[in-house]
Amino acid sequence: MGWLRHQKHALTAALGRLRAQPVSTLLTALAMGVAISLPAVLYLGLGNLGQVAGNLPAQPEISLFLDTRAADAQRAAIAARLKQPDIAEARFVPRDEALAALSASQGLSDISAGLTQNPLPDAWVVRPQATSRESLTWVADELGKLPGVAETHLDSLWADRLQAALAIGRAGVWLLASLFAIALIAISGNAIRAQVLARRDEILVSRLIGATDHYIRRPFLYLGALQGLLGGLAAIGVLAIAGGILRAPVERLAALYGSTFHLLPPTPIEIAAVLALTAAFGWLGAWLSVTRALQQVEATR
Amino acid sequence: MISFSQVTKRYPGGHEALSAVNLSIEQGELVFLIGHSGAGKSTLLKLIAAIERPTSGMVTVSGQNVGRLSRLAVPYLRRNIGLVFQDHKLLFDRSVIDNVMLPLDIAGFDRREALKRARAVIDKVGLLMREKANPVSLSGGEQQRLCIARALVSRPALLLADEPTGNLDAGYAADIMAMFRDFHRVGTTLVIATHDDRAISALGGRTLRLDHGRIEEVAA
Repeated sequence: MGWLRHQKHALTAALGRLRAQPVSTLLTALAMGVAISLPAVLYLGLGNLGQVAGNLPAQPEISLFLDTRAADAQRAAIAARLKQPDIAEARFVPRDEALAALSASQGLSDISAGLTQNPLPDAWVVRPQATSRESLTWVADELGKLPGVAETHLDSLWADRLQAALAIGRAGVWLLASLFAIALIAISGNAIRAQVLARRDEILVSRLIGATDHYIRRPFLYLGALQGLLGGLAAIGVLAIAGGILRAPVERLAALYGSTFHLLPPTPIEIAAVLALTAAFGWLGAWLSVTRALQQVEATR
Repeated sequence: MISFSQVTKRYPGGHEALSAVNLSIEQGELVFLIGHSGAGKSTLLKLIAAIERPTSGMVTVSGQNVGRLSRLAVPYLRRNIGLVFQDHKLLFDRSVIDNVMLPLDIAGFDRREALKRARAVIDKVGLLMREKANPVSLSGGEQQRLCIARALVSRPALLLADEPTGNLDAGYAADIMAMFRDFHRVGTTLVIATHDDRAISALGGRTLRLDHGRIEEVAA
């Protein structure tokens, strides 16, 4: 009971102290909010980019080029193989159609115009069911061994590159988030240090009449956690404003690409995680600050 | 209740405040510490409350070796000791009643029980009419009474007072000493450092004189 009473007492005291200094509370919350919003914006941006990448035909395709001398029986066998269930989709591209497509491509029509005969082979464009890199390579190898197939080309490189770039981005988010977490601890620690200095007398007197370190620390820890929570709310406010400003131009750009892409807001779980983390780091900053101050008070008694 | 055995206290810089002091104070005793300023009176009180630690020798309070008490145990020792300071050490960001309730808050008392106790002790020191006032608005004598109320609210077995009447005129000083006499009568052990001879002659009790860190009994 005594424990619970102490917690309630400390929380009330912390809320009172926040209310007593609305301007500095607000400024600290803003500083924290801006600091957290930077990695948060990057995180959300990457999430949205990932969504774009997912909407593109990112499923890798295998191009199957046939030998120009392949026999009809071999062609029929290949067509039959491509009807099996491990192939999601297979489309036959006759060599005449391929040449027509080449001629229609801007900048390449000059090349095709100079050709006296069609150098292109017949081809299949195949999309396997499996999407992992290993199974794709395995399917491509297997198809390449079929009689009558001259060459296979696994067309997944660009998707791999995009994924690799996104992976760097995600690592960057964590790096940035770690740096700003340290900044958060520093901001909180500094704000609490000012509070501790302002309450030096109270700390000294409390220790003289039997207060434990826990008792003295507790209101400051609540103060740090609440301040961090306010910082988290400020960060979410910054995100909401940024989202509001960006939504229209992003959707206009997406429309120009014929996409129905919409900006994804953070999920409730992500919002809760941001608030929990900011509160935790605020608490940690306060702990460091008060513990240091307690040692100093003891030393300069 | 309190015993000093060969206690020496040397401050950083070399000043020796107490030199090989031997002392024993029984439960329920009223003891006055006298001596010129700088004689070591405050140091002796601070050693009892573990505010300072002896350079050598042993200080025990209720059987506990106070000089070797861990940092975590010190608060619990202090909860059994009422401290009255010459400069009062009141908190001016809260009312009279909240100042008196601070020790009870620290000890984890229920707020209603704490209020009841605080009111009773404020009544005893004659400040009940001012319970909502800020201590800044109190006179020097009233502030000292408030400090005494805070020291007594948790009903300590031992009260240490460092120059409790130091800044007060004769009328207030007599009031405060009368108050101490009452506490002595109900069994509280009191150690009072003072240079106010009138107070001592009025109250009787045992008197110890400190001179340059050495202690001697003064015959009544």
